[in-house]
Amino acid sequence: MGIGLLLAGISLLVGLSASRLSQPVWSLTSFFKEAENDHQVGNIYTVKDEQGRVISQVSRRVTVGDEIFTAEGRHYRVVRIQGNTAYARFTGMDRDLLAYSEFYSRLEVPVAKMARNPRPVAIYHTHSDESYVPTDGSESIPFKGGIYQVGQSLVNRLKSGGVRVDYDKTPHDPHDDNAYYRSRRTAVRLMQNNPIALLDVHRDGVPDPTYYRRTISQQDVAQARLVVGRENPRMQSNLDFAKRLMAYANSVHKPIVKEIFTAQGNYNQDLMPTALLIEAGTHTNSRDEAERGIALLADAVPVVLGLTGPAPEGAPKPITDRTAGTPGSWKALGWIIALTLLGGGAFLLISAGNWNRAKSRLDHFFGREFTSFFAPRRARKPGLDTAEKATSTPAPGNEDPDASKVARDHLERIRQD
Amino acid sequence: MTGFPVGITALIVVSLLIFFGLAHRALDRMRLTDRGALAVIVALIIGSFISIPIPGGRYPVSINVGGGLVPLGLAIYLLARAGTAAERLRALFGAGVTALVVYAVGSLVMRGLPEPGGRYEILDALWLYPLVAGVMGYLAGRSRRAAFVSATLGLLALDVGYYFWLVSRGAPAGRVAIGGAGAFDAIVMGGILAVLLAEVVGEVRERLQGGPSEKGRPEALLKALRKPGLDTGTADQDGAGEGSETGKGGSLQ
Repeated sequence: MGIGLLLAGISLLVGLSASRLSQPVWSLTSFFKEAENDHQVGNIYTVKDEQGRVISQVSRRVTVGDEIFTAEGRHYRVVRIQGNTAYARFTGMDRDLLAYSEFYSRLEVPVAKMARNPRPVAIYHTHSDESYVPTDGSESIPFKGGIYQVGQSLVNRLKSGGVRVDYDKTPHDPHDDNAYYRSRRTAVRLMQNNPIALLDVHRDGVPDPTYYRRTISQQDVAQARLVVGRENPRMQSNLDFAKRLMAYANSVHKPIVKEIFTAQGNYNQDLMPTALLIEAGTHTNSRDEAERGIALLADAVPVVLGLTGPAPEGAPKPITDRTAGTPGSWKALGWIIALTLLGGGAFLLISAGNWNRAKSRLDHFFGREFTSFFAPRRARKPGLDTAEKATSTPAPGNEDPDASKVARDHLERIRQD
Repeated sequence: MTGFPVGITALIVVSLLIFFGLAHRALDRMRLTDRGALAVIVALIIGSFISIPIPGGRYPVSINVGGGLVPLGLAIYLLARAGTAAERLRALFGAGVTALVVYAVGSLVMRGLPEPGGRYEILDALWLYPLVAGVMGYLAGRSRRAAFVSATLGLLALDVGYYFWLVSRGAPAGRVAIGGAGAFDAIVMGGILAVLLAEVVGEVRERLQGGPSEKGRPEALLKALRKPGLDTGTADQDGAGEGSETGKGGSLQ
């Protein structure tokens, strides 16, 4: 049956590539084909609240459970999708965001002097073709998109503020989801210099340029959106960092960060608690707007990362302060442990078949496993036949075969598959 | 003094322990002893810091020891130790299909303007690979080893294909860092998660059908399925079947 399914899969793939030669009206191939119409309005999701007010526009498929944290601290969760409209429930004001904003608003002048700065901020682009139509002439310029100038703008502003920067310009084309597979290597390479944060700079694909366009600190700029991947077991700690960055950036240049969006994906954010994806404007903004916007965002980075030294009295401690409270990471830790226990428990139960057997395996686990690592191992008698060994212990009836040494040896011997 | 707070440090340490614990469990399920599996993990970790450049290409190509060579070596070892030629063929077939499916889904379906993951993005590439490889490995040979081989060789094939794509596009710049993310590369995570997935699927399926299937199986395998001392009895439903052998409390992870 397995082979049959495989053959079915292969023939489907072969059929698909063959059918490309012809020109069907609609077929499965359109699913695989380059979508020329991607930036039509119809492909945009509008997120509305329960009263029908527009909260956000998203150039990707929104799914139930996606969350939005607005610049004002309002927290929404998508509960229903209808066509291209997603309905989100207002779950209340986000306490962490409110607290950070409150604290940062009291922080009058950011400390100008840079403290000792041993760790760099690492920056890279997963989608290295991303460009801005009004200035670059296209939304995608393979291998050398306008996004590199935007990245450079971020780098320059950080450097002029005294921050060490590690900027990796490796292209990861083509523009697809596998780009994250390739950029993961770049991210890890950057991590070898022990960075304090890992920023992946993108631009969005919302067609309306006014969605991100604002006049902030007397400049026409494109706002930024921070994206946190939900398919990351440590997502809560990344979200924590995003909230701090948004709260502080918006207290310096309001409202330079439009919102935090938690989307399906991982975006290599499992690599670091301070890994973040930044969307600098959208493809219909001019690149200059995006460059100015991200430079304003850069102003907030040193303080949030604690590069300007310890925070003054009353302000929240930066994420790099050893004594800072990080509710997100404790939450993430709780999730990971809970999921591990749940998954492990469920698997134990399924494989053991019933409670008692699962329990006896659990009882045996610690003694046996730890002995095998920490105590000298008893030499196994190679020539001994399993039947011979079985005679030394009477047949145990329906006992768990994993529970006795003899049965275990037997198992070990046959588990060669 | 900069450094991450206790919460973040605890998070990193615990998740690393769980990851390597899982990795050990997965390796343990193949033709490796406890210590062999541990040695592989140590090699993975140390090897993560070593990248070997492969000279002569138009673009910089390198292969990381932990993220590329160790999984590749393990895949070759598993293939070499495979019982039959058919088994070997099935695993290689699974690897080929994995590479194709991963390319089709990751590069053809999930691409385009929608940000940040391309259209139809439901599952990040990182989690997609083990899913595809695990399913392929299981379908190809109902085997954890086939799942591992499918994941590692399939993804390596993807990287080789990427190099030729760069060449064919005449890319002005590019880099192929095979397994460059070391122990956290998608190749390693894909292999390990695929094995665990194949194990879970095998276990659940076997439990659902009330024990390993005996019909049409070779006598030697059936004999091995029975507990020692129960030669005349029927195979216990908890015996180690094709996708089973859940002993050693491995489920604890």
